[in-house]
Parts: sequence; C-alpha cells; structure tokens
Amino acid sequence: MSSPPVRAVARRLGTGLVVLWVAATAAYLALLAAPGDTVDNIVGDGADTPQIRAEIIADWGLDRPAVVQYLDYLGRLGGGDLGRSYLLQRPVTEVIGEQLAPTLTLAVAAAGLGVLLALLIAVATAGYRRPWLRRLSSGTELLLVSTPSFLIGLLLLSVLSFRFGFFPVSGDQGVVALVLPAVTLALPIAGLLAQVLRDGIDKALDEPFVLTARSRGVRERSVLVRHALRHAVLPAVSLAGWVFGIVIGGTVIVEQVFGRPGLGQVTLSAVTTRDMPVVLAVVTLSAAGYVVVNTTADLAYLLVDPRLRRS
Amino acid sequence: MPANRLRTLAAAALAPLLAVVAGCSTGATPAAEAAGQPRSGGGLTWAVETEPITLNPHQYAQAKARLLVWNTFESLLTYDKQGKLAPWLATGWQVAPDGLSYTLTLRDGVIFSDGTPLDATAVKANIDKLREPGYAPAVAAVQLRNLTAVEVVDPRTVRLILTTPDVLILDFLASPQGAQISPRSLREAKNLKAGGVDVVGTGPFVLDRYVAGQELHYRRNPGYDWAPPTATHTGPAYLDEVTYRFLKESAVRVGALTSSQVQVIEGVPATDQPLVTGNRALRLTRELNSGSAYSYYFNTSHPPFDDVRVRQAFREAVDVDTVLRSVYRDTATRAWSVISPSSPLYDKRLDGSAYSGDAAKANSLLDQAGWTARDAEGYRVKAGKRLTVRLVQSAPFVRDRRDVLAQAVQAAVKRSAGIDLKVSLVDQGTATDAIQRNEYEVFDNSRADTDAGAALNLLLHSKGGINRTQINDPGIDQLLEAGQAAVDPTKRAGIYADLQQRVVVEQALLLPLYAPADQIAASTGVGGVRFEPTAGVPASAYDLWIGK
Repeated sequence: MSSPPVRAVARRLGTGLVVLWVAATAAYLALLAAPGDTVDNIVGDGADTPQIRAEIIADWGLDRPAVVQYLDYLGRLGGGDLGRSYLLQRPVTEVIGEQLAPTLTLAVAAAGLGVLLALLIAVATAGYRRPWLRRLSSGTELLLVSTPSFLIGLLLLSVLSFRFGFFPVSGDQGVVALVLPAVTLALPIAGLLAQVLRDGIDKALDEPFVLTARSRGVRERSVLVRHALRHAVLPAVSLAGWVFGIVIGGTVIVEQVFGRPGLGQVTLSAVTTRDMPVVLAVVTLSAAGYVVVNTTADLAYLLVDPRLRRS
Repeated sequence: MPANRLRTLAAAALAPLLAVVAGCSTGATPAAEAAGQPRSGGGLTWAVETEPITLNPHQYAQAKARLLVWNTFESLLTYDKQGKLAPWLATGWQVAPDGLSYTLTLRDGVIFSDGTPLDATAVKANIDKLREPGYAPAVAAVQLRNLTAVEVVDPRTVRLILTTPDVLILDFLASPQGAQISPRSLREAKNLKAGGVDVVGTGPFVLDRYVAGQELHYRRNPGYDWAPPTATHTGPAYLDEVTYRFLKESAVRVGALTSSQVQVIEGVPATDQPLVTGNRALRLTRELNSGSAYSYYFNTSHPPFDDVRVRQAFREAVDVDTVLRSVYRDTATRAWSVISPSSPLYDKRLDGSAYSGDAAKANSLLDQAGWTARDAEGYRVKAGKRLTVRLVQSAPFVRDRRDVLAQAVQAAVKRSAGIDLKVSLVDQGTATDAIQRNEYEVFDNSRADTDAGAALNLLLHSKGGINRTQINDPGIDQLLEAGQAAVDPTKRAGIYADLQQRVVVEQALLLPLYAPADQIAASTGVGGVRFEPTAGVPASAYDLWIGK
C-alpha cells in the first residue's frame, strides 16, 4: 500500500542527487575551462615569484592531475566537506554557514512579500471592473520588472533612509533593517507574478464553471477568490523556481547596496577572485535549493489541483 | 563585467538626484577643528568601502584595510610626516657597519591584550612564523628574502641577520606585515591566517565582534600607553568603541553620512564630493598615497613599443591634464614620475617636465618611426599593420574609475596621433592569461608601498615580480640594487633620482597619469580625523574623538 509513495519519494531524491552531481560537475568544469589558472588567482595582484608559486601549489595540492583533484573534491563533497577558501583561508562550511541565515531571512521575507503583493494586486485588478486601475497596475508592473534592483534599492534608500530616516541604511539589525532590502527584492517578483496571476484569473473568469457559480448566486468576491484565483495559482506555482532564482541572484546586488551580510556578497567576491571552493559550494547549495523548491512546488500542485491527486 | 558598468552608470545618474534628496545646503568650509577640544568617551560608526579579506596583519594585502590593522596591531617602527622612520614598539635600531645586521631595542611595558608581554622572544616568534613555509609566502619571498636569522640578544633586544645589505628590512618592520601578534594567538588561534577576535595585538583597540559582510566592532584597550610619536596624543584612545561598517557603494556611504547614520566615511569619488563639500555639517579631507603613481607601462618586448620613439609619441599624444579633468573634474593630482609626488624619493626635477601633450611632436616621432600611412579610419599604419596597442584591465582591481580614464586616453591618442588603443575590461583570469601570453602592449598599475623602493623593485627590476615593461637593463637593475643597499638617506634619494631620470625621461618606459589619493568625509562633530603619515591612507581610530 505504502510502496508507490515511498518509491516516488526515492525517485525524487535520486533525481535530486543527480541534479546536484551534474551542477557540481558543471561548475567544476566551467571553472577549470575559464582562463587563468588557480595559482594566478591565489597570487592575485600581489608579489609573484617562482618560490611563492611553488609554495601555493604544494599548499593546495594543485600539482595533482585534474581528474584526481575532481574525484577528491567529489569525495569530500559527499562527506559534507566543502574545502577551504583560497582567499579567506577558512573552511568553506564556516564561511557559508555564518552567511546563510541572513540570506535566507532576506529571501523568505522578499518572496513572501512578493507573493502577497502579487495576490493583492491580481485580485484587485482582475476582470474588467476598473480598467483605469488595471492599466495603471500593469504599467507599474512592467516598470518594476524592467528596473534593475540596484536602482530600486538606491531610490528607496535615498528617499526612505537618507531623506526621511525611516529605515537604517545598513546591516543586519533586526526587522527594521530588513524592510528596504526585502521590498527591493519583492517588487520585481510582485510585478511579474501579478501579471501571471491576473492573466490566469481573467482566463478562469471566462470559463463555464464561473458562469455556473454566478448563476448559483455566489458572490463576485467569492467567485474571484475561491474559484478563479485557485485556477490562476497553478501557473504561478510553476514559477516558484524562477522566484528562487530571482531572489538568490538579487541578493548579490541587494546585499551589496544595503551593506547586509549574506551569501550574495560571498558569492560576488568568490566569483571575481575565482575562489573555486567557495564558488563550487555556492553553486551546489543553490542547486540543492532549486531541487527543494521544485519538489515543494510539485507537491503544491497536488494540494491546489484535486485532478492531479486522483491520477 | 556589464553589471559593474551598469551600476557605475546608475550611480552617476543618481548623484544629482541624491544631491536634491539629501537636501544639502551650500556654505563656507568649516574651521579646521570644529569639534572643539579632544575629549574621552563615546563611540562612532565609520563606513568603509572594503571588507578586509583577512584580519591577520601578517597576511595583509589590501591598502584599503590598513586603517583597520593599526587599531589592534602595531609594528616595531613607523614613518613620520617627512617619510623618516620613527620608533614605535621598538625605541630604536642600530645597523652594523657592514649593513648585515640590525639590532632593535624594544619598548618597556608593552603588553598584548591577552596579557602576554611583548619581548624579544615574541618578536622572534612573529618573524619566524612569517618565514614558516605556506604561512605568508609573499612576505617570506619578498620582504624577508635577505633575512637569515633572528637572534634574541636579551629580553629587550632582538637582532636581525641579513645575507646582503637591505634597508628595506626597516620598511618591513614599519609595515602591517611586520606587525606583532601575540605569540599565544600564533599558537592557539582557530583560523590564524584569517584572523579574528582570537588573534590579538598590542593596539589601542581590541576587536570584539566581527560580523562578516557587515561590520567590525572595536572597544578601547584601557591599558594602552605606547602610542607612536606620530600620533597627536598619548595614553588610551579617546573613543570607548568604534564600529566599521562595510558599505561598498559610494553613493550609499555618502547618503549614510549626510543622513547622520554614520559619522565618518572613506572613499569619496569625484562625482560624490560636491555632496560633502556643499554640506556645512560635513568636512572632506584628502591625501595622496605613497608608493608608485598610477601609470601606463609600455611593453618593450615587441613592436610597437620596442621603439622608444613610439613610447615617447604615445606620451605626447595624451594631454594628461585635460584627460584627468574630464574624468575626475579637479580632484586628481597629476603624476610626473613612476614614484608618487608625495614620496620622499620622488625626483622633484620631473615636475612639469619631459612631455606635455604635444600632438605635433607625437606625430613627427611616429613619422620618424615609420608609421607614416593612415588607414580608412584614420589610424596610423606601417607595412600594412595598424598601430594598435592593447590595455587589458582586470575588473576586480579597477578602482577610481580607471576604466573610464582608459576610454578618455583612448580617445585622446586616436584624435591627436592616430594610435589605436584597445581597452578590454575582463575577469582576472583572462587578464593574467593575456599577460602570460605577452598579448598586451600597455599595463596599468599603482602600488601603495610606504617605501617606493619596494614598488620599483617589483615593477622595474629585470627579475621583478610585475616587470610588465619586460625591460632588461643592467643599469636599472644596478640602480635598484644600490638603492636597496644604501643606508644614507641622501645618497639613497640620489640613486632613485638617477633611476627616475633613466626610466621616465631617457627610456620613456611609462606614462605617469595621477597620484592615487584617499578621501575621508566626516561630520564636523568628529575631531582628530587624519591620515597615516607617509602612507597617506586614513589613520586608525586612535586619535578620533567626538565633540560635544
């Protein structure tokens, strides 16, 4: 009786592991193929003599064949050891561990706020009740989706922090400091999700079941929220992976602008200096995040759509 | 990196807007010390541009992190305003007549903040640690390459034994890499190379909190009583505590300052300076860095810059003053030599000399060198080859809008002499690759060494680590070696003057552009804002105080 779900879960986990392996390997190969070698990157723009190079090569075991280094890396990754940062001289697990919480807090707050805003906007502007509001809203959404979050962040900062002092400019100092970064990240998400949701609601409103509901005397608001919105959520749920990507990518810029700690800053400096262990760890971690988010989205389909539950 | 470019553009576009939003008022510059008399107590927040990659001074590699080092760590020597060495943790030094050993006397009563006394054994432990394989390869291979042994003569006396005379060993003793770490930290710290709260020194502050990506927090070291003579007071620091917050965007730093969320910032680019100078509650100060000037070095290993006339022509083709004004308004100081004009080794005869943006001269030099024909786009051609020179900039190390400056130079050399300067802004790996494959003709660089001689050894010696001109001139090597061995300061300055004449005037190995500078903007309520003498970078928080 319980074996099909167990098998399904096992298959999901297996797929997840394969995705992780592919991501880790692809990142490894990409960094290997990128110009410049590891020793150059560790040397940076500092002093450079054959003696320094020899010490670096010995210190990091860079004289081993690439295949051996790769297998060693995979083996350690399997054991949860992400290696040591070339640049920061600390274990990568430690570097990422202490930066994970601020980024997750920001990501969850931004995603939650974005979804909430999108729902409110979509419900308020769907249908053909208020054409002017609809036009205004979709114009704003387009603007938000196409504005770089760097600009949104600086604008919010200069008005709400520098001019009026409502919010502090920087740091991870509790909820107040979270507001502006979260809003900055949430606005583009809200912009796109609202368009998708509204589109879905509009389509659902044209369906026969809405006519049936209305003819039964169900109130318009109820039709919108209980029937149409539920249909519209399906395509929106499939955007969960996209939201995750936007949020994780967006933290790089937002953390920089707001001087917040987090993975974004770590990633940026690791990529620019080609700090391979850190880059690999961030890629693997993001891939794991995608796997989790997409699996959750698949489960959410089941919740939202009864038809899928039956089959 | 397009994202970087985009942000620069966005910041430029926003600057006027921020000016309006910040509600600046114009007014007269305030008196030099509006904060009144120094007083003890209070704390402040200082927004800095760069988060240090390591807090261990032995691993120091970022000039922008220097102001943080001296809060918790101190060296045996330091530099005064005239660029002369001054005592710090060592009260004095004695050089043997043969120049092969330096004997240092340590100051009495200095203790690390973990209670360990600073004595000769501690100094030996630090220097021995630096020479340990794999710990600090750059220091061991460059600054300590002539050191063979460290001897403990008695608890207050330590002797450094050299293989060959090397005055730069004193520069090492005054450098962050030569700062003293508690021997207990050297043995027990969890991540010694990364540094942190468990790596302690003798400085006026104690690091008690580091939130990576966000801030560093220091509290006063109450027992501190060994300030260097270059400081403006003695005894413990004035401030109870100081927080350094990392704000990488200059517009955000300036905004945080104008809205009083922080009291001091460093790194104020030309575009943002009017926001500070136009505000009566703020004060802007700037100082030139020591070391080498920001210059374009010509690769002499292959055409066209193997011909000295082409190198001279490139220099004459750039009207440096105009180019600097167009990029930095009036905030940049022009450089005339490979050495920054603020260094005591700078040859003042070079001021306003040598080359002057004379387009006619540039063109006649190129004609003489055989680059007589022009192609359809107006570039000079010789034997069917266009006069193209490549400058490869590594994006992570581009600062001071040097990418924009390169575009201005590009336009200037095209317009006045038909030279095709190809500028590419790439990641570090690609840049290193281009250099290793010798696929570049122009190399740009500035170095912030306190003793310019250290920079020149790397840049101009035939075996130098960043000898990108690829010059191999026994005359230059000889001068560099003589300069490193000369104990007498006057004689030493003479040697470096000869060197500058040879490199800048006779051989035209480089085009000096500007002297890098640092800026501090502070609320007028903060007193004691100053720069570290000679280095020209912001000083530590030791002399800072909060006015009433």
